[in-house]
Amino acid sequence: MTLSPDDDFAAAEFALGTLEASERATFAARRRREPELDAAIRAWEARLSPLAEATPPIAPPSDFLSAIEARIRAAAPPPAADGVAALQRRLSRWRAAAIGATGIAAALAIGFIAREATRTNAPTEFVAILQKSADSPAFVASINLATGELSVRPVAAPPQAGKSYELWIIEPKLGAPRSLGVIDAASVTRGARLAAFDRAVVEDATYAVTVEPEGGSPDGKPSGPPVFVGKLVPVEP
Amino acid sequence: MSTAEETPKATDSAAAGDDLAQLLGRVAARDAAAFATLYRATHAVLYGVVARILTRGDASGEALQEAYVRIWEKAGEFDLAKGSPLAWMATIARNRALDEVRRIRPTSLEEMPEGFEPAAETVDPLAGRARSERLAALLACLGALDADKREAVLLAYYRGFSRDALARRFGAPTATIKTWLRRSLMQLRDCLES
Repeated sequence: MTLSPDDDFAAAEFALGTLEASERATFAARRRREPELDAAIRAWEARLSPLAEATPPIAPPSDFLSAIEARIRAAAPPPAADGVAALQRRLSRWRAAAIGATGIAAALAIGFIAREATRTNAPTEFVAILQKSADSPAFVASINLATGELSVRPVAAPPQAGKSYELWIIEPKLGAPRSLGVIDAASVTRGARLAAFDRAVVEDATYAVTVEPEGGSPDGKPSGPPVFVGKLVPVEP
Repeated sequence: MSTAEETPKATDSAAAGDDLAQLLGRVAARDAAAFATLYRATHAVLYGVVARILTRGDASGEALQEAYVRIWEKAGEFDLAKGSPLAWMATIARNRALDEVRRIRPTSLEEMPEGFEPAAETVDPLAGRARSERLAALLACLGALDADKREAVLLAYYRGFSRDALARRFGAPTATIKTWLRRSLMQLRDCLES
């Protein structure tokens, strides 16, 4: 080991926890760049860890298990690769969340999957969930490739005064993001704007929503980073 | 805050440790039922770890939740050769609590969780029954330290005392505390490796 005695002692103090706040933060940054330092900290943690195991237990004031499970679900990967069953679970969970937030938005989502579903070998119905995180639903976009029809439903997306939400299709083959139009926050938006794109592009694309000046982006380009993004998921019965 | 103690069955025997290792393996494979069982078996020990350091109930609950999310994420990294499952989990919880306590403010001697008697409880685990060979070895090495220095190490470990907090506790300059810690930790390492 080429670690200096001073660094090894600092690793020991890091593991023991006696470093002051600024030293701890500095050391935490260093360990990310210096594998030997990181290994030394882990070795000291392992030496001292039997003490942690021997800690007398205290019953927590409340049961945190369901809250922890909710956090784990919230940190799960987005539904792009999931089957429709997982998507339906997500939707039902969001529905439950949305009912708590706004009953009107929840009503827009209820029965959505069932109504849009078609039984074909090659799915023509797709949905994109445009979300900030798994537990904060924003918009549900559905796309019918057979007709090129697109509909976007807001699900608990907070309206912003003097601003508009604008939907974009993003795919490397297209170059820059292309606008799919402004989303009417109050109702379902429908249009046939996807007919101009290849089916493969539509299926592989990422869909994003940005906040734009009222009426949409003035120059046809997103004004800022997306506030919601999502990929298409085939809707199958 | 309730201070009623639960008996951590998980720590009572090597067989229970094997059970925890199996549960961690299933958690690594994303078994939610195994995770719930693991939580039930270990949460009181992990809460004991974070509550002694953070002292405030809300902060302790938050650290506990973050620790278990991390355990879920990192379960695949657990290595039985490097320590027991409970020691690994408790170390994750302890690191969460330390990050938080260093972020908020220096630990105050006055802020104790209700019903806590640290002098009796955390400063003398030597009286406790050794639960594993590793713990027995560590306790033997701690026992070889001078009483004050042993207490400083244990206050740091169990209560999250920084050097400055230890300096106030022992009425000694911070530089002296640093020297104590250095000698104590190096002595511990040599003792554990002998």
